[in-house]
Amino acid sequence: MTVSNKMRNRLAGLLILALVLPLVTFSGKASADSPYRGYTWSRSGNEVSSINGYMYDSSIDPAGTAVGVLKNPESLFIAEDDTLYIVDTGNSRIIHLSKDGGPIKVIGDAEGGGKLQEPKGVFVKPDGTVYVADTKNQRIAVFNKDGQYMQEFPKPDSTLLGANFSYSPSKLIVDKRNYMYVVSDGNTQGLLQIDSTGKFKGFYGANHVGFSWSRLLIKLVATKEQQSQLATVRPSEFSNLDIDEEGFIYSTTLGEETNQIKRLSPVGVDTLNVGSHRYGDYYTDGPFSMASFVGISVDRNGFITALDLQTGKVFQYDKLGNLLFSFGGIGEQNGLFVTPAAVDQTSDGLLYVIDKGRGRIDRFRATPFAELVHEASLLYVDGKYEEAETLWHEVLRLNANYDMAYQAIGKALYKAENYREAMDYFKLSNSRGDYSAAFREYRKLFIREHFTWFFSGVIALLLLLYWGMPKVYRRFLAWLYGHKAAAKAKAAEGEL
Amino acid sequence: MYTLQMIHQVVAHPYQFYHDIQGKRRIFWYQGILLVLLTFAAKTISILITGYAFETREPHEISIFHEFIWLAVPWLTWCVSNWGVSTILDGEGKFKEIFVGSAFAFAPYMLLAIPVTLLTQVLALDEASTYNLLHQFLILWVAWLYLLKVKILHDFELRKVVVITLISIAGIGIIWFVGILLFGISNQFVSFIIDLLKELRLRA
Repeated sequence: MTVSNKMRNRLAGLLILALVLPLVTFSGKASADSPYRGYTWSRSGNEVSSINGYMYDSSIDPAGTAVGVLKNPESLFIAEDDTLYIVDTGNSRIIHLSKDGGPIKVIGDAEGGGKLQEPKGVFVKPDGTVYVADTKNQRIAVFNKDGQYMQEFPKPDSTLLGANFSYSPSKLIVDKRNYMYVVSDGNTQGLLQIDSTGKFKGFYGANHVGFSWSRLLIKLVATKEQQSQLATVRPSEFSNLDIDEEGFIYSTTLGEETNQIKRLSPVGVDTLNVGSHRYGDYYTDGPFSMASFVGISVDRNGFITALDLQTGKVFQYDKLGNLLFSFGGIGEQNGLFVTPAAVDQTSDGLLYVIDKGRGRIDRFRATPFAELVHEASLLYVDGKYEEAETLWHEVLRLNANYDMAYQAIGKALYKAENYREAMDYFKLSNSRGDYSAAFREYRKLFIREHFTWFFSGVIALLLLLYWGMPKVYRRFLAWLYGHKAAAKAKAAEGEL
Repeated sequence: MYTLQMIHQVVAHPYQFYHDIQGKRRIFWYQGILLVLLTFAAKTISILITGYAFETREPHEISIFHEFIWLAVPWLTWCVSNWGVSTILDGEGKFKEIFVGSAFAFAPYMLLAIPVTLLTQVLALDEASTYNLLHQFLILWVAWLYLLKVKILHDFELRKVVVITLISIAGIGIIWFVGILLFGISNQFVSFIIDLLKELRLRA
């Protein structure tokens, strides 16, 4: 009895130990799986699983600090010195935080000219001057680097704007000439270009309405009254913008299925898209609507990061518009968003996404895979195909489904005049145009190498056709119809 | 052997051919089916041997069954529609002649589609116009044979040929429309019967 009792005690002890042990020994940082699945879109329009390019790192929520809770923050801007400017729309103020969320200052006065009313956008010049799109006050407010109110640019006055122009500045950037480019909500004529004295200088980079057969048909058939009852077709409006170091303006457009992201040259021409390029997810059926990009950020290497409100996903593109990574989504877990509103990045490549719904900022860091792809892609975009080749091979070693890598290696091989192998790689990346170009060169070399054979072959073939063909044809006819009929047919041909 | 002679005839002497097939016991039903099957085979092979750069569809997007449907159904509905229209409008052609004659009109495509498609193996995309031209030429040849067939078999003059052809094409549209309609309705009908039976079984 006592033995079995002891035994039981010992067993119970062991059991408890077994239950408690994992808690004690394996506590520490848990490596969480990301709540989203990495993927890219192949050229043939398929969703291909990929390694995640960005992982959730941490969040900044100033609720615990002196700043207090954010209320519907609409935008954030990361200045040259990597400090954060958050547009706390619901509380009508701009919050200046350090890179890791420590409060620096709050912009927006309680009274007077510096009183903001539901601002939606902010831009900070390298010298620290803060431009606020003070939406409800219908003005651009300017503060100096200490947060003191300097001046305002009210609604510009110009005959170009029309009588019933409603001004609702929501996003803006300021270029090196101190020209402001302003997105005005609901305006479809383009970005407002305002000079440093507040004068309206014209619309910039307007979207255009494409041709549509159905519209033409309606125009032909419908009466004037019917036409006036139809909703007028307007060009799509811009939703956000960013500027790179060379002065190119990157914009996002709402309500379009293709070319939602544009790189506008100083004269307002899109230099990113040749033809139509579809950004975001492209499901053509099912309960999916088209992507609506609300945020955009361009880093100094030209990588474009855009935020889609519809799916809550962030998409990253290279300088040529090739999709590199996508991450995020709608949800409650860390790494997903409730209502994402804007995206920006610090110089070390950390991505900051502001979540309007949760009133906090989520940070994402690049995975080693993303760093590798970035490095390779940079060389590739600059046309240094050969230098990039080894990197792309490394990318393929990690992820053999990465279309872009095959394409890039193909280009490198093409440049190295290794056309046969280039053809194989282009085939793998599904790019027929490049394949054909490589094939053409390969064919040229092949014929040159075997020129004697080709030359003599062609001569022989021509001779054969000239001398042999009629004879063969006559034979064929004789065989087909029997000799008699052949003679008859010949006679008939002679008559004709 | 006899069919082979006829293929040669339709390619080399189409006028002669369409006059000839109106004679007694010159054509057989099986020839029409054979020619369409051979054309289908030529089409299938040319899909298979198309060069990579010239492929417009991914392999998984191609269905051999659909290719067959898209060849056989238009052909068959053309036969029915053209026969119906031309009979009403004083055409002389018999259904058998139309059936076999329009199948033989595929002969140039059947013979030359494969050699033309072989070009895609040696051409680059820049030179695609050569291939496109030849391919369009084949299609036009077949279309011309169709018109010729209408003219000779029914003994029409040119203007009537055009009118009859247009009406026949409209007829094809109507046949397809009615076909799809019937399919839809019969689908509904069958599911109605099945539901009725289910209901009865559950109530009983």
